[in-house]
Amino acid sequence: MEHAKKDTGKSKKTADNIKDEIVIDMRNLRKSFGTKDVLKDVSLKLKRGENLVILGRSGQGKSVAIKCIVGMLIQDAGTLKVFGDEVADMDTTELKELRTKVGFLFQSGALYDSMSVRENLEFPLTRVLKIHDESELESRVKEVLEAVGLSDAIDKMPADLSGGMRKRVGLARTLIVKPEIMLYDEPTTGLDPITSREISELILQMQEKYKTSSIIITHDMECAEITADRLIVLNEGEFVAEGSYNELEKSDSEFVRSFFK
Amino acid sequence: MIETGEQVNFFTSFFKNIFTGGFEWSEFVRQCYEIGFRSFTLVGITSFIMGVVLTLQSRPTLVKFGASSMLPVMVCVSIVREIGPVITAIICAGKISSGIGAELGSMKVTEQIDAMDVSGANPMQYLVVTRILAATLMIPLLTLMGDVLGLFGGFLAVNLGDHTSWTLYFHKCVNSIGFTDLLPAFIKTIFFGFAVGFVGCYKGYNSNSGTASVGIAANSAVVSASLWIFFLDVVAVQITQLLFY
Repeated sequence: MEHAKKDTGKSKKTADNIKDEIVIDMRNLRKSFGTKDVLKDVSLKLKRGENLVILGRSGQGKSVAIKCIVGMLIQDAGTLKVFGDEVADMDTTELKELRTKVGFLFQSGALYDSMSVRENLEFPLTRVLKIHDESELESRVKEVLEAVGLSDAIDKMPADLSGGMRKRVGLARTLIVKPEIMLYDEPTTGLDPITSREISELILQMQEKYKTSSIIITHDMECAEITADRLIVLNEGEFVAEGSYNELEKSDSEFVRSFFK
Repeated sequence: MIETGEQVNFFTSFFKNIFTGGFEWSEFVRQCYEIGFRSFTLVGITSFIMGVVLTLQSRPTLVKFGASSMLPVMVCVSIVREIGPVITAIICAGKISSGIGAELGSMKVTEQIDAMDVSGANPMQYLVVTRILAATLMIPLLTLMGDVLGLFGGFLAVNLGDHTSWTLYFHKCVNSIGFTDLLPAFIKTIFFGFAVGFVGCYKGYNSNSGTASVGIAANSAVVSASLWIFFLDVVAVQITQLLFY
């Protein structure tokens, strides 16, 4: 663990920021689609300020797990509490409130392609936080774009951006409402190694700047090494291993070690 | 049965979202521009040509019965009651319904709708309510404009065979139609507009993942909207017959 931090430049501040407060508490979660059991008895806890990486092969239910956290999917069995409240029991208003506190970065960035970067960033501010003051909108948009290093792209359309830039703008749009938890769905997929590393480091910087807790789903081991305080490995709908990067790298399980090769 | 249930749910959700939360005025105006103004040329040209063709096709039959002077009346009643509303709605089903289906289908596939939803914003309000209401408002207006241009086309075609002054043609047209022609025809275009917007939004919003589903959404939006237009037309004609004739 220490070795990984030293190599990647991950600061000790991140680990120091982790508090005992549990922000996500998932217990014995089950979710099926038709006859396919995607999640079988999955449990995890996320502490405030922690970066938790979920590793797993494609189609093993990683995205399903984080979609349950924001109420996009409802579990068939088990409990899932975010900030102490059961997600499945939330009504529309409570769910909307939860979603202002939990940011979700999609694999593709999911930018609204009929809107410019500025309009993409203003969208959650005007619709969710109901901010309509022009100067406040301008300052928040500029602040978050500066944080992701894309101040020059403010008036560009998503079609004019590269894959890495789209991810950055997607991250900026999620962070602009200052969420307490960030969920990243394969943030480096489809990017070249240099851009992947930049995005991984950006995730870490943003976590330090905005003091978020994060769940990061990835296959990218460099991303996991840079960002993770703790890793969990998901296989066939169940968590099969948990630990730091270094611990899992030396795991007895051939399946777990196969991710590190 | 399942799809009918889903459509009822979608309709209920649309209706609730009209009255809850803030109305997206700027997006509504943008959609009115996209749906109305951008369809203006296509609807206008098609209606004008339909007026010309209808007149040219009808003339020989009317001449055979010695009723060529009734040509403006026949053209006007046909266009206002039936051809104008149905042709405009079918064109809009092809252009607008498929456009909305493809746009929302593409947003669904690229997770833009999910992103909107998960950010706490309301995609039904922003994407669906605005599009359906814009189609419901703009298609009747396009039909009115199409009717007028169809009548101009008819005037042109009438003058290809013999000379009729614009004043006489206009006078005959206006005298041939009344409240019972205009009102039912106008009311049914509101339902046509709603069907075009609703079907496009429903198909796009509920499309599956994968790029193929964008094409399927666009295609099935056109087919379903066209069928709905004909079905609504039959119902509207029956109701009009019962109430006015």
